[in-house]
Amino acid sequence: MRKIWTTVALASAVSLGAAACGGTAPGGATGGSGGGKTIKIGTLHPLSGASAADGKQLENGAKLAVEAINAAGGIKSLGGAKLEISSGDTQGKPDVGQSEATRLIQGGAVALVGTYMSAVSANVSAVAERNKVPFVMDVTGDDGVLKHGYKYTYRIQPPNSQMGTQGAQDLYEISKAAGHPVKKVAYLHDDTAFGTSVLAAFKAQAAKLGFQVGPEISYSPASVSDLTTQVTQVKASGADVLAVTGYYADSVLAAKAVASVKPKLNAVFGIADGAFDQPQFPGDAGAAGAGLYDTNYRQDANNPQVQQLTTLYQQRFNDKIRTEAMLSYDAVRVIAAGLEKAGSSDRTKLRDAISGLSLDSLVIGNGPIKFDATGQNTGSLPVVTQVQGDAAKVVYPAKYAEDKVTPSFPATAGS
Amino acid sequence: MTMAEATESAPAARASRVWTRDVAVRATVVVLVLAAALVLAYLRADKPVIVTQAVVTGILTGGVYGLVAMGLTLIFGVLDVVNFAHGAFLALALFITYGVVQTTGVHPYLALLIAVPVMFGLGWIAQYAVLNRAMGRPLENQLLITLGFSLLIENGLLLFLGGNPHSVHFPGNRGLPVLGAVADLSRVLAFVAALVLAGVLYLILRRTRIGTAIRAVAANRQGASLIGVDVRKIYALTFALGTACAGAAGTLVAPFTTIQPTAGQTFNILAFVVVVLGGMGNVLGALAGGLLIGLTEQLGGIYLPGQSPLLLVFIVFVLVLFLRPQGLFGRSS
Repeated sequence: MRKIWTTVALASAVSLGAAACGGTAPGGATGGSGGGKTIKIGTLHPLSGASAADGKQLENGAKLAVEAINAAGGIKSLGGAKLEISSGDTQGKPDVGQSEATRLIQGGAVALVGTYMSAVSANVSAVAERNKVPFVMDVTGDDGVLKHGYKYTYRIQPPNSQMGTQGAQDLYEISKAAGHPVKKVAYLHDDTAFGTSVLAAFKAQAAKLGFQVGPEISYSPASVSDLTTQVTQVKASGADVLAVTGYYADSVLAAKAVASVKPKLNAVFGIADGAFDQPQFPGDAGAAGAGLYDTNYRQDANNPQVQQLTTLYQQRFNDKIRTEAMLSYDAVRVIAAGLEKAGSSDRTKLRDAISGLSLDSLVIGNGPIKFDATGQNTGSLPVVTQVQGDAAKVVYPAKYAEDKVTPSFPATAGS
Repeated sequence: MTMAEATESAPAARASRVWTRDVAVRATVVVLVLAAALVLAYLRADKPVIVTQAVVTGILTGGVYGLVAMGLTLIFGVLDVVNFAHGAFLALALFITYGVVQTTGVHPYLALLIAVPVMFGLGWIAQYAVLNRAMGRPLENQLLITLGFSLLIENGLLLFLGGNPHSVHFPGNRGLPVLGAVADLSRVLAFVAALVLAGVLYLILRRTRIGTAIRAVAANRQGASLIGVDVRKIYALTFALGTACAGAAGTLVAPFTTIQPTAGQTFNILAFVVVVLGGMGNVLGALAGGLLIGLTEQLGGIYLPGQSPLLLVFIVFVLVLFLRPQGLFGRSS
């Protein structure tokens, strides 16, 4: 009996919560088509588990893209062939993602889209490579995923290193322009590969620009329920900016802790943060969220197509669209454009077509979506948002600013 | 009481006295170790306010860990069931609280009046209708059933309410100054409620007829049934009490937790550790274990900067298991 308890506790400790999840794989209906030819695209997202809300957004984005492409006449070079989604639930687990990817490929998917989690994407990219199926990653931050020399894996979003580097650069420029150049940044981050890799890139760029980073404070996102002590450490360190990299719930905790500890900061600056730029964040954080910055990928609110999609998403799913959904929408468009260009649903021909593509994006970038030799989108560009009023809006660089807002700096959160 | 019983109970009473003294000794040792750890932390830290804040936060979050673990340990102590659904029940209470606040706009704590009875009822039904059939069978059966409950609840919440995070606001919440550190009012109240609840549970178990029946079933279910205790009812009642604890915890933590279907998992991980540490089945031990884990977690961040704060928690956990496999305040079996 006691041994069982010990095993239970240790198992929970090791897997950090994985013990209590599980779930079932939905039987993704990949039924045959009727008269016209259909082409299957496999989607792999966490539809259950802790990231289900994000997974749903990504899935819905892909769905809307398929509907729009079909409504516009399908793939014309293939006689108006219609696209169809075969959906897989990764549950946020690498092994499940791997088996689901295999299932979708065996079910006839010509390409895969996914997966939101780097660890899952790493496994799926290996499966894609082995089966020679193009895999277009919508959200996946880890740099390592593209370092294996795989020929079938592509990424649309900016990698963690780019977000960390750009975050340091943007913070430097914004603070300097406001007359309070950043001197010392305290860095609060989750202790997974996500937080640590973004921090590493941020630090390298900070060293080049000549400002200090420290203290570096980490926490475990799966078990954290309070960040007051950590923010007190920030206050005691005398840093003038707090940088935060984390997931949604823990970043809300960080914002609330800043509001109650009240450190003397010029800004709270998210770097690839999972909360500070989200549409529901200002409501959840209340006064604690006011003025918070984030450097992240972002939909181009000044693009009329994005505005249409925002309205459509609200009507269809009764929810606010997030940039994630725009990224999966783009991922499906990449595959559709590849099919159009290849004039064939052969997976290798599709791969070659995607490699040579140039496609305008719904997400802000410094150019169209184009892939380099590793498969990274060379047009990806993180930009800076700030919570102003009841929404996070792009404030920097000025040419992408939403509603012509400008950065407010210093911006002390929670006051 | 017959003579035979009286003479038999004398050594039992003596054993009980010895055990009480033993617990007092162990509690003193734990307090002394903590005090030494604190002194060391103050010496190590560049600013004393950081340690003060760590202690304040550690005690406050520790109380919440204890509160969550209390229900878990009660269920285990009486039923020998490892309740994997405890975190899911807590998440359900979070959503009940959110629903009550959204629809009526009342103070979040008033949701206790709904969340606690609803969770009590659900716990009763879960035990009476499902789990009771698996009692006395191999342990895996009950484990799989509670795991099933947790999947059912979490995925049900996901299906019907969506995965988007929610929050409830605590009117008039503010940071209270404590020796230079700050303590959030909502966290202080959750902590006080944890203490009160631990006291109430202890009194129910020690001073009421029902409590005596529960303890009798925990000690010897066959014996209890022979003297007329309805064991199945006591099982249902105990599971209901444990679930009500999760319900109370859910409402109390709602103001400072992001409400989503998997929110309970955050507490579940540490609650399992707390239960083992405090001594399985020991309600006050759960509270003490919670405080210990809360403090260890916070001090861990100071001792081992750059590491996960949980590292020290699991070092302490493994150490305690090594020295006292039955937990700090558990009786050896």
